Amino acid sequence: MSTAATPPDQPGAPLLQMRGIVKEFPGVRALDGIDLDVRAGEVHCLLGQNGAGKSTLIKILSASYQPDEGTIVWDGEERRLTSPMAAINAGIATIYQELDLVPGLTVAENVFLGHEKSRLGMSQRSVANRATRDLLKRLGHSEIAPHRRVETLSPAGQQVASMARALSHDTRLLILDEPSAVLDAGEVANLFRVIRGLTAEGVAVVYISHRLEEIREIGDRITVLKDGATVATGLSARDTPTSELIRLMTGRSIEYVFPPRSEKPFGDVVLEVEGLGLEGVFADVDLTVRAGEIVGLTGLVGAGRSEILETVYGARKATAGTVSVDGRRLRPGQVPAAVGAGIGLAPEERKSQGLLLDQSVADNITVSSLRSVSRFGFLDRGAERRKADELSTSLDVRPSGVARKVRTLSGGNQQKVVLARWLLRGCRVLMLDEPTRGVDVGARTEIYQLVRTLADSGVAVVVVSSEVDEVLGLADRVLVVREGAVVAEAPAGELDESKVLDLVMEGRVA
Amino acid sequence: MNRTPLRTRLGVGAVAGLSCLALTACASNDTSSSSEEKGSSSANAASGSNDESGDKLVIGFSAPAADHGWMASITESTRKAAEKYDDVELRVAEGTNEVNLQISQVETFINDKVDAIVLLPFDGDALTRVALQAMEAGIPVINVDREFNDPNAARVTVLGDNYGMGVSAGQYICSQLEDEPDSVVAEIAGIDSLPLTQDRSKGFKDALDECGLDVDARVAADFTVEGGEESTRNLLQAQPEIDAIWNHDDDQGVGVLAAMKSEDRDEFFMVGGAGSANAMREIQSGDGVLKATVVYPSTQGADGVKLARLLAQEKAMSDLVEVEVPREVQLYAPVVTEENVDKYIDTAFES
Amino acid sequence: MSNRGTEPVAVDDVRGDADRSATERAEQEGLEAGSSRGGRVWELLSSSVGRNLGLLVGLALLCVVGFATAGERFLSESNLITVLLLASVIGVVSVGMTFVITGGGIDLSVGAIVALSSIWCTTLSVQATGRDVGWLTMAFSALAVGAVCGLINGTLIAYGGVVPFVATLAMLASARGYAEILSNRRTQIVDVPGFTDALNARPLGVPMLVVIFLVVAALGWVLLNRTTFGRRTVAVGGNPEAARLAGINVKRHTVLLYVLLGMCCGIAALMIVARTTTGSSTHGGGYELDAIAAVVIGGTLIAGGRGTIVGTVLGVLIFTTLTNVFTLNDRSTSEQALIKGVIIVVAVLLQQRLAERKVAKT
Repeated sequence: MSTAATPPDQPGAPLLQMRGIVKEFPGVRALDGIDLDVRAGEVHCLLGQNGAGKSTLIKILSASYQPDEGTIVWDGEERRLTSPMAAINAGIATIYQELDLVPGLTVAENVFLGHEKSRLGMSQRSVANRATRDLLKRLGHSEIAPHRRVETLSPAGQQVASMARALSHDTRLLILDEPSAVLDAGEVANLFRVIRGLTAEGVAVVYISHRLEEIREIGDRITVLKDGATVATGLSARDTPTSELIRLMTGRSIEYVFPPRSEKPFGDVVLEVEGLGLEGVFADVDLTVRAGEIVGLTGLVGAGRSEILETVYGARKATAGTVSVDGRRLRPGQVPAAVGAGIGLAPEERKSQGLLLDQSVADNITVSSLRSVSRFGFLDRGAERRKADELSTSLDVRPSGVARKVRTLSGGNQQKVVLARWLLRGCRVLMLDEPTRGVDVGARTEIYQLVRTLADSGVAVVVVSSEVDEVLGLADRVLVVREGAVVAEAPAGELDESKVLDLVMEGRVA
Repeated sequence: MNRTPLRTRLGVGAVAGLSCLALTACASNDTSSSSEEKGSSSANAASGSNDESGDKLVIGFSAPAADHGWMASITESTRKAAEKYDDVELRVAEGTNEVNLQISQVETFINDKVDAIVLLPFDGDALTRVALQAMEAGIPVINVDREFNDPNAARVTVLGDNYGMGVSAGQYICSQLEDEPDSVVAEIAGIDSLPLTQDRSKGFKDALDECGLDVDARVAADFTVEGGEESTRNLLQAQPEIDAIWNHDDDQGVGVLAAMKSEDRDEFFMVGGAGSANAMREIQSGDGVLKATVVYPSTQGADGVKLARLLAQEKAMSDLVEVEVPREVQLYAPVVTEENVDKYIDTAFES
Repeated sequence: MSNRGTEPVAVDDVRGDADRSATERAEQEGLEAGSSRGGRVWELLSSSVGRNLGLLVGLALLCVVGFATAGERFLSESNLITVLLLASVIGVVSVGMTFVITGGGIDLSVGAIVALSSIWCTTLSVQATGRDVGWLTMAFSALAVGAVCGLINGTLIAYGGVVPFVATLAMLASARGYAEILSNRRTQIVDVPGFTDALNARPLGVPMLVVIFLVVAALGWVLLNRTTFGRRTVAVGGNPEAARLAGINVKRHTVLLYVLLGMCCGIAALMIVARTTTGSSTHGGGYELDAIAAVVIGGTLIAGGRGTIVGTVLGVLIFTTLTNVFTLNDRSTSEQALIKGVIIVVAVLLQQRLAERKVAKT
C-alpha cells in the first residue's frame, strides 16, 4: 500500500493518513477498507448510517482496537499504536459519547487522572488546579472551578472537562463522537467556538454527528462511510448537496432479499397503544398493529425507539397512556402481564438482555414457556427437549444440537433462538428491536423470511431498526421517531430511503 | 446450684481452701513451683503412689477455641499435665466455639472408645446430651468449668468458684470502703449470656449487700481486650466519679486499663478477675489503679486429666479417706493483693 | 397463562432460504470436531459430571489420608455416621444457600437466622404448646421464623433495591440481637420429650438428622434440576435482565429464593436444637462462611447462573471429612482453618482455569 509522503510541516499536509483499514470480529467484517486523510487545523466530519463503521473506526484511531490490515501514517511516519495510552502520548485524544470521567473526583483530578502532577509521590493539588484553570480558560470556560466535583457539572460542563483532559496531553488530533447529542443549542454554539479556537491553534478535529446542519456549520471536509468502507472522502462540508450525501450514505452495495408482502388483508387490531409516554424520553405515542401486519419504527439512536418498545412491553413503567392487546388493557410496568397477554420482545442487546448465554439452546427457547413443558412445576424434560429440538431444526439454528451453549452460536443463530422462544410461546404480538444487528448477510435473509412468515400466520409484528432499508423492505407501515415523538407515519410503499433519512435527521421531508 | 456460704475470704493462704474441696490449682503452699510446671504443680496431690505409672490409657480432651489467655492456658496446662504421665495418651480436639462441631468431637471420642473424656463445653447445656451418651457408653466424663444440666452427664465436675469470685471481690471492696456507704461501685462483667458471669455478678452483689454497698454501674464486655476497652470508655463517660471497680476478667482488663489511661481517670481502685500474670505484675508494682485480683484457676483442665487418670485406673485420691474420686471438685477463688502477690505470680497464666 | 393465540407458524417454509448457507454450517461443524486428546480431559473436567467427579476424587483422597493416618478408627461405621451428623446441619443450610447463590444473590445471615429460629422454637410458650399439641408446633415455628427472616431479606433485596450483601448483613446483626433479647442471652433447654426423641431416632440405624439432610438434598436436587422453579432460578442468576424480558417475575422469584433459604435455616435450627437439646443465640456461629465455602467449592458460580446440589453436598462432605480427619489426628482447628482456606482457593482457581479454557475454545 502506497503512502504519499508529504512533509508534515507543509501547511495543510495530512496529519493522519489511514489506508485500507480492515477490522474483523467473529462473524462480522466491521471495517472493510477505510481510507481517511485528516489535515492539521481542519474539522473533518465522518458521516454514515448506524452500523457503517464509525464507532469501530474511532476505536482504531484511539488504539482501543488494532486493525487487522491497513496502514496508519501519523505525522509523516507509519505508526502502530498499541494501546490507548500510546495513542494519547502520540497526541490523539478521543471524547466518547459516554463521557469517561470519574464522577466523584474534581475536574482537576479528572484532567490529570493517570498522569497526576506529583512530586515524590505526593500529589500537588495546587499545581494541578492551576494547570487545569489554564486549560479551561483556553477552552473558554474559565467559569468552571478546577476543584468542583465532576458529578455536579451539567453534561456540557462535563464535556468541557473531558476536553480539558484531552488537551492536558499535547493533543494534535481530537476526536469528538456525537458531542452535540447531550447539548442544547446555546451549548452547541459554545462547543463550536471551542472547536474553532482549537483548529486555529493547528489542532485537527474529527467530528462525528448525525446532524447535517451542524456539519455544514462547523465542518471543513466530509468522509462518508458505508458498510465499513469509505465511499467518498474530501467532500466539501459546505457545498456538497444533501441529496448527494444521502445517496452516498444509502447507496447499496449489498441488496438484501426481502420476502414479498402478503396479499391477504390484515386481521383485527391486536396491539393498540394510545398516548403512551415516558417522562423525559418520549411522549404521546399512538400505535396500532393488526394481525398479520408488520410495523416498522425507525429513527436515530437515542430518539426513543427502543424505549417505546420496552414501555409497551412493561419493562419500563409508562407515565402516560395505555397499552391494550386484543382489546384488554395491560397493567403498566409489568412484564409478566405483557407476556401473559401474548407480547414477546426480542431486545436490542441480544447478549445482555435477550439470552442466558451460558445456558443451552433448549433452556433459552423454553424459558418463557416453562409451563407448557412442565406439570405441577415439574419439568417434562423429554417434552422440553422435543419442542426445542423441533423449533431449532425448523429455524435451522446452526450448529444443531439444543444442548449447546448459546454463547457459542453466531449472532444470527442467537437471534433465531430468541425468535424460537416466542414461537414456542405462541405470542400474539412480537416486537423486534434491531433484529439483524450483528447478524451476517445470509442469516439476515432467513430472519426476514421468518418474521414475514410469522406475520402471515396472524402475529402482529413491530420492528425497530436504524437501518432504513431494512424497515422499508420488511415493514408494511413505517413510523419515524425523532427526539421522543412520532414525526411521520406512512405505508412503506409510499416512502423511500432518502425521504425517511430526511425525516430521521431533519424531522421533515426536504 | 451449690453456693459457697458467705464468709470472709481475705485471709487467703491461711484458711486452707476446702470450700467444697480445694484441690491442686491454687498451689497455695507451694511458692517454688514455676509456671512451666504449673500443669502438675500440685504438691499435695502428687504424693503417694498415684503418680506411678499404671495401665496405659487414652484421654480425650475438648475445649472451646483458645481465643482468650485463660482458655489458651487451660489447653496448655492440660497438655503439660498429660505429658507428665507416660501412661496417658491425650487426644486434644481443641478449639471450637461451634457446639455442633464440639459434639462431633465428643462423638469421635466415643467411637474411639477412649478411656475418659475431659470436656470443657462451649455451652454446658448444649453438650449435655452427647456427654450422657458417653457416660452411657461407659466412658467417664470429667466436666470442666461449665456445668452440664444433668448430673448423670459427668462422673466428676471440676468447677471454678464463680460465685465465690464475686464474693471475694465484693468483700475486698467492702474492706476498703468500710466507712463510706455512699461510695460508687462499678462492675465490668464478661459475657452476660454465660452462667459463669451471672454467678460472678450474683456473688459480687451479695457480698456488697452485706456491707451496705451496691453496684451503681454495670457494663458487660466480652472477655476481649477490645470489648474491655470499649465498655470501660462507656462506663467512665457515664460515671464521672467512681470509688471502686471490679473487672471480671484480667484478659479484658488489658483493655479496661488502657481505657482508664486514655480517659485519664485514676480516682478509684480496681479489682481484677481470673488472675493473669499481667495483672499480678501490675499489682506487684503497686502504683496503678489495679490493687487486687481474684484468682480463677486456669489449671482446671489439668486437674480434669489427673482425675480422669485416677478414674480410669480405678485409683482414689490418696489425700482423702474416700475410696472413690469425688463427684465434684470446686476450686477456691483467693484474693491476690500487693502483700501476697509473690505467692501467686508464678502460677498465673500469661494472657 | 396458557398457550392460546396463534399456533406456532408452519416454519418449514423458512427452510428453503436457509440452505443457502450450507457452507457456513460445514465450517462450524469443522470447528467443533477438532478437540485434541489433552483437551478432552479438560473438557470432561469442566462438564458438570466431571466437576462432581473431581470433587469425588478430592473426597476420596481425603478418605485415603484419613485411612492412612487413623486406620480403622476412620473407616468404622460409627465414625462415618459422626461425619454425616456433623455434615447434616450445615448441609441443609448449604443446600438452601446453593439456590440463593445460583439465583445471583448471597446470604450472610444464615447463622443468625438459625440462632433466632432455635431460640424461637424453644421459648417456654412454644415448648408449652409443644407439650400440649405436639412437638410439630415447634418445628412449625422454627420454619415460620426462618421463612419470615428470608421474606424480609428477599423483600429488601428485590423490592427495596438493597444489595444482598448489605441487606443480609443487617439481618445477620439484627436476627442474632433479637435472639439474644428473646432468650435474655441464656441457653434454653428443650424438655419436650417427643421432640428430641423424634429427631434423634435412628431408623434403620441411620440418625434422623442424616435422613433429614439427605431428604433436603434430594428435594433440592429435584427442585433445581427438574422444576420450573429451578430453571427460573438459573435464568435469574445467569442474566436477570434477560430473565425479566423473557417474562419471568424476577423480583418475586428473588424473594422466594431467600424464603426457601430461610426455611432451610429453620430446618437446620430444629436439627441443632435436637442435637444439643438447647436453643441458643450462639448457635449457627460462622455458618454463613461455611455454607458459602461449601457451595463455592462445589462448583456453583458465586456470580450466579450455575448451581449444583450434588457439588454442594460433596463440598460439605469434604469440609466435614477434613474436620474429622484432623480431629482423629489430634490436630488443632487452627491448622484446619488454614487448610480450608487453601482448599477454597485451589478449588476456585481450578474452576476458573477450566472456565477460561472453555471460553478460549469457543
